Amino acid sequence: MGTELGVYKTCVSARSTSKEILKKAQDGGIVTQLFAYALDEGIIDGAIVAGPGPEPWRPMPMVALTSEELMASRGTRYNLSPNVALIKEVTRSYGLDKVGIVGTPCQMQAVRKGQLYPAGLRDVPDKIALAIGIFCMENFPYQSIKQLVEDHAGMALPAVKKMEIGKGKFWVYGERGQVVTLPLKVTHKYEQPGCHVCLDYVANLADVSTGSVGSPDGWSTVFVRSKKGDDIWSKAMAAGCFETKPIEQVKPGLELVSKLANEKISKNQKTVESRATFGVNKALRNPYVSPK
Amino acid sequence: MSKVVEISPTTRHEGHSKLVLKVNDEGIIERGDWLSITPVRGVEKLAIGKTMDQVPKIASRVCGICPIAHTLAGIEAMEGSIRCEIPEDAKLLRVILQAANRLHSIALHNILILPDFYIPGTETKINPFTPEEPVRSVAKRIQRIREIGQTIGEIAGGEAVHPSNPRVGGMYKACSERAVYKMYDLAKEGLTLAHQQMEFMLAVLNNMKKRDWTDVAGKQIPLPKTLGYHDLGYMASHPMYASSNLDEIPGWDPDRWTDVRPWDWYMGEVEVSLADPSYPIGGTSPVGTKANPQMEACTGVPLYDGAPVEVGPRARLATYKNFTEKGTWAQHVARQLEYTDCCYTMINALDAYNPSGKVLADCIPQGDGSMGWAANEAPRGCDVHLAKVKDGRVLWYEMLVPTTWNFPTCSRALTGAPWQVAELIVRGYDPCVSCATHMIVVDEDKRIVAQKLIQ
Repeated sequence: MGTELGVYKTCVSARSTSKEILKKAQDGGIVTQLFAYALDEGIIDGAIVAGPGPEPWRPMPMVALTSEELMASRGTRYNLSPNVALIKEVTRSYGLDKVGIVGTPCQMQAVRKGQLYPAGLRDVPDKIALAIGIFCMENFPYQSIKQLVEDHAGMALPAVKKMEIGKGKFWVYGERGQVVTLPLKVTHKYEQPGCHVCLDYVANLADVSTGSVGSPDGWSTVFVRSKKGDDIWSKAMAAGCFETKPIEQVKPGLELVSKLANEKISKNQKTVESRATFGVNKALRNPYVSPK
Repeated sequence: MSKVVEISPTTRHEGHSKLVLKVNDEGIIERGDWLSITPVRGVEKLAIGKTMDQVPKIASRVCGICPIAHTLAGIEAMEGSIRCEIPEDAKLLRVILQAANRLHSIALHNILILPDFYIPGTETKINPFTPEEPVRSVAKRIQRIREIGQTIGEIAGGEAVHPSNPRVGGMYKACSERAVYKMYDLAKEGLTLAHQQMEFMLAVLNNMKKRDWTDVAGKQIPLPKTLGYHDLGYMASHPMYASSNLDEIPGWDPDRWTDVRPWDWYMGEVEVSLADPSYPIGGTSPVGTKANPQMEACTGVPLYDGAPVEVGPRARLATYKNFTEKGTWAQHVARQLEYTDCCYTMINALDAYNPSGKVLADCIPQGDGSMGWAANEAPRGCDVHLAKVKDGRVLWYEMLVPTTWNFPTCSRALTGAPWQVAELIVRGYDPCVSCATHMIVVDEDKRIVAQKLIQ
């Protein structure tokens, strides 16, 4: 395929130089560190992040205006956080001029679509200052995560320290030190159905995208994509925010990222195509083509 | 022998209207009818049975220049009916929104009227679209003032056109401290620009007042000193914001209001007998055209103390600040004088506003069918909404919109002017014809008269 990783200027393996950030970061603390730097430098004046929600491990979109608020949103929550829901409100009652936003590939698509075709999004297009995308294979509704953790893994949600999907397994780490793994096969039926038509793995439309795959534990794979992303990334590097290694020198490296991206895209492309003949002489809608 | 001339459509105001004018041999208007020919949308009738939260959002869509007036009057009429007192900080956000919208609306109206006026001391009319100075800087200033008004409105009200933040019981969102600073900075910048723009407009108006004639399509048309005079009264409910039945001393009285049908007020059928193909741009209606203002007018005629009244900036200044001038120029002057008020109002409200304050009432009653009303001082004048809410649903809804009040008043004010400057008189009211045309007129037998017009 060759286009599975999207357009990018550079790709590195990186992690934050802040021990404080790394303490609770999912991987290399890239999102938290980059937003913290951009906030300090006035590149953004707030960021839409997945903050803590009303229930354990349920994210709630929030506008972080300080590093402390960013810290509270560290870690991956494997269920839906409708970050784009705040994209207009930040320019209204929050009064922001330069907005940062983090999100999955689909949320990056929403941001870009909103910038180019701002239907009901007056004054939003020119206020997006930094969009950070995170790699995403699929997502789950909250109820799915509850069942996976409480029923399949047999753990109480509030006692979970970290969750991770990696190395072919769903990992649940308890506060008390226990580790439970579930084969991914178990999780499939709990996936959000809408994820099955997604053709983007590494957030192709973000300014900077980042994820765990390709880099060792505690490190992240980072794609620097746009001019804006490149500018901010170079400044953050110069300011000593990140440790990096060339992606070619880390294991498993880009090869694995490409492999997983291809797997996701070809599997979901099939789903998209199968929708055309879903019924007898009737199709289900395909959002990637114009309606006839 | 009087003749009839018709200007249809009129231009450089919001909406769709026309002028049917009976003129004498000198072309002086003996009796004029200015009427809405905007299709009736019937907001008041379709509101019945809908929720009290939904109706003000529909009413907002009556007009995109002054949606703030309809949103706030609608919501406050509901609050008046259910007897809901909103928190102070919610009120302050509404006042900021109101003033921001008025700022933008006055500036927009400047663009609409400037082509009627001369660069002081010259014989050059002002074309706001010219790239040449001094007009270019004025146009830029106007656009910046509008941008400031729209941005502040967007922050305080959620959206500049059809504000999303107001709701029955207060506001959805409080503004953050950063948002307050942003609005404050913009209001300060706006104040300086508004001062400059006001002074520019007053100079242009004073120059016009001294002129004896104006050029229309290459002809010198005399300008009477009493242009736009009428002997009807005026009505205003508040100098800046609004009044409702929840106020201790309400600024408006529903008992003094009555409504009549267009044919109690307008002319019957006439035939156009005078045409001027050179009237810019495209000429007047051809001779032989039939007009019937009684049947064609798409608004009701609201009366206060049994007579039409003038509403708007001049009415506000006359009511609250002893402003005594009258006629078209005085209306324009009064409107410019409101420029700086808008900015001071915003600055004062921002000073008083507490970003961590409550913006939603603890208790929102669902209503027992009592009548409530709110009179919002829209940019164009007093916008009264009346409502009866029971169990959260609207039982009855009525909108008395500024331009609806002004239609019959302005029609009378046309008398004595050369017909070629009738549009100048109309523009003095900053008409918003979509606003005016929102209702279905019901006659004595309760048949829906306006349906006849639609069919």
